[in-house]
Amino acid sequence: MKPDDRLLARRKAVNGLMMSLCVAAAVIAVGALALILAKLVVAGTVALSPAIFTLMTPPPGSSGGLLNPILGSLLMTLVAIAFAAPVGVLAGTYLAEYGRGTTLGNGVRFLNDTLLSAPSIIIGLFIYGVMVLPQGHFSGWAGAFALALIALPVIVRTTEDMVGLIPDSLREAAVALGCPYWRVIVSIGWRSARPGILTGILLAVARVSGETAPLLFTSLNNQFMSTNMNAPIASLPVVIFQFAMSPYQDWQSLAWAGALLITACVLVLNITARVITSRGVQ
Amino acid sequence: MNADQNGIKLSIRNLEFFYGNIRALKGINMDVADNRVTALIGPSGCGKSTLLRVLNRMYGLYHGQRATGEVILDGKDILTMRGDINTLRAKVGMVFQKPTPFPMSIYENIAFPVRLYQRLGRREMDEVVETSLRRAAIWDEVKDSLRQSGLSLSGGQQQRVCIARAIATRPEVLLLDEPASALDPISTDLIDELVRELSKDFCVLIVTHNLQQASRVSDRTAFMYLGELIEYDTTENIFIRPANERTQNYVMGRFG
Amino acid sequence: MEAVNPKTIPPEANGPDTVVMTVPAPSGPSGPSGWSGELVPKGAAFEPAFVWLTRSAAILVLLVLAGICAVLLIASLPALKKFGPYFLTSSAWNPVTENFGALAPVYGTLVTSAIAMLIGVPLALGAALFLTELCPHRLRATLATAIDLLAAVPSIIYGMWGLFVFAPFMSTYVQPAITEYVGPIPVVGALFTGAPYGIGMLTAGLILGLMVLPFVAAVSRQVFATMPPVLREAAYGVGATPWEYCRRVLIPYARSGVTGAVMLGLGRALGETMAVTFIIGNAHRISVSLFMPGTTISATLANEFTEAVGDVYLSSLLALGLILFCITFAVLFAARFMLSRIGARVAV
Repeated sequence: MKPDDRLLARRKAVNGLMMSLCVAAAVIAVGALALILAKLVVAGTVALSPAIFTLMTPPPGSSGGLLNPILGSLLMTLVAIAFAAPVGVLAGTYLAEYGRGTTLGNGVRFLNDTLLSAPSIIIGLFIYGVMVLPQGHFSGWAGAFALALIALPVIVRTTEDMVGLIPDSLREAAVALGCPYWRVIVSIGWRSARPGILTGILLAVARVSGETAPLLFTSLNNQFMSTNMNAPIASLPVVIFQFAMSPYQDWQSLAWAGALLITACVLVLNITARVITSRGVQ
Repeated sequence: MNADQNGIKLSIRNLEFFYGNIRALKGINMDVADNRVTALIGPSGCGKSTLLRVLNRMYGLYHGQRATGEVILDGKDILTMRGDINTLRAKVGMVFQKPTPFPMSIYENIAFPVRLYQRLGRREMDEVVETSLRRAAIWDEVKDSLRQSGLSLSGGQQQRVCIARAIATRPEVLLLDEPASALDPISTDLIDELVRELSKDFCVLIVTHNLQQASRVSDRTAFMYLGELIEYDTTENIFIRPANERTQNYVMGRFG
Repeated sequence: MEAVNPKTIPPEANGPDTVVMTVPAPSGPSGPSGWSGELVPKGAAFEPAFVWLTRSAAILVLLVLAGICAVLLIASLPALKKFGPYFLTSSAWNPVTENFGALAPVYGTLVTSAIAMLIGVPLALGAALFLTELCPHRLRATLATAIDLLAAVPSIIYGMWGLFVFAPFMSTYVQPAITEYVGPIPVVGALFTGAPYGIGMLTAGLILGLMVLPFVAAVSRQVFATMPPVLREAAYGVGATPWEYCRRVLIPYARSGVTGAVMLGLGRALGETMAVTFIIGNAHRISVSLFMPGTTISATLANEFTEAVGDVYLSSLLALGLILFCITFAVLFAARFMLSRIGARVAV
């Protein structure tokens, strides 16, 4: 059957058009990233100086730095991960091992995945309800726990995936030696999955570093230098929010500096996580 | 070594095994002798690996798999024993088809099971590790690289390390599930020799697809087919004067 | 070796035979010469505790979710009791008279998310198709990483970029152009009337679309990767063009997964806070024109929560949170369900 040339030409034209649109879409996506990063770098480096790391946030009209928000963010992130990492690894291990095929396991897995994509502002409301209201004041602890609840599903998920990757043959070999099952998990399972679990924790930190909404009504903000977790404490995202929305030029440039810091942090963590996974998988 | 007077280490009586509703082993009766190599042969799906995995209750890891009957080891029935099952597994060691070194150094691979049961000083542990690796005929090849990862060895070497690991806890019975089937011919030869050596101290059961290996290495052979034990006799009889026609067809290579 | 039934839990830890612990008998002559007597590995008694530990951690996840439901419900009861179902239909928002209604924020949430989906999904699918089918191998990893990194950028950055770069761009170039060319068109033109502020529902929707893009693209890519190579080869083998393959074979095959991906993106768009707060204008009103400012549920919460005075005000805000919770979780459940149907579990 002789191919109809006009039909062929039309098909090729349609293909050309649609594929060009696809290319355009990819270009837009990558282009957007480039534009955002470009603006960040340009606006951020202008305001970047050692003072950022040594001076407190200033009142409008004077110069200063971002020391207290940086410290506050570091503190809260540390506490958040200190809570979320052990709980997350244990829960993920349950899902991959003892909970495989059980109703509880399946249920938790489903709900964890949902929590993973849930709006972070709702987490903030939850912590407001269970910590801030009863205590009667905002606090760094509340902020830290809100961040912990955002990090938790990420760590649960990656731990479950990584521990689940361990081949049954390895498990059986350990069991055949008379090793109690919990030790099989700890000495063999966790050891094999270590790069993956670490990656999960890194990704959780990256996710948590940029979160603003949940902090708005848990840790609030603090103009002054403070490491008191029992009181409102400054954090980088909240300060950026406040400064960027303000009409003051120097506050805005500080906001860009802070934004650059956060983005650099997040990107470095993400890329490190990828490098670890690609190298650690055997 | 606590074999009874007749030199029988394991007594299997009316063993039935089920994967869910599927009956994989049907009424197995056999006595396994101590200090001998017993081979289990048969075509794919005949149940030989299943039988092996009953002997150290490996099926307990999985839902829906169960066994009935009796398997007597040192006067105790394995299948219904109370108490810690890890005890059983310390006495009955297993080597798998695929080499499975743990993600640790070679030294640690051997030390790991020993540490489960004993607290040994550094020197004593070194001794145990060396003895085990020597008995597995791999000491000379790895003695200078004990701290390297177990995964850095070749397949044949990894398998010998796994054998060393399995015997490090001084089990009384050694179960080998096609230990050489994933390896090259030279490693296979080494492992064959090893198996004969090991039978001097252990009761060895080996599942194999390789009829030549079975005839070279074992003292007694059991032929299985579709979950049943068809014939169980000295290796010589099975290969040269089999009583059952199906056995004869299998060892002649007419099927399987 | 015969296949052994793989992949189920080790029931031993819960089963009847393991956990009975014998008292460790004194082991025989210790040392490398051998053991005798009952052997009990050290730490065997810890097994039940470990199981309990891991199970409790898993239950914690459940409790968090249950807790969220409970807190939101309890805290919004006062407002719901006061306003009843009219809460959903009223567009009032007056802190002084304490009269609140959810209509304006809900409207804004739905409209901005709709715009985000309309713009973001086609772009995302296009990018995913590009990466799967057209992209030269050497570039593939880099471009895929670039798009994934777009998803990692915190939303506050999008918000700032939106406010300082995109909104001025919209108000200087895009909005006037739209007003000129689309404005005169009878029905559609009404959507694009008004002064080109830059900030407003359209801009917010577009930024949201940009945020949704990498999510939907990443998940779609993973879904496309589950396509069996044989089907692909068969399609090209009969002479299909790449577009025909995508349209007739790949997308139908991956339909469930792509729908799941889209719904995941929608879930994200609905709950997105910081990016939207910067550029939506924060006005509690409903306008037909997309150029006008408005508000979304999350933007309202972000802006007003800390200054809310009075129980009714606070309770109304929490009621908004409850509404958001219900909408997003319904969407997310549906998304996960669709994804589970093709067995794709995506970490997004």
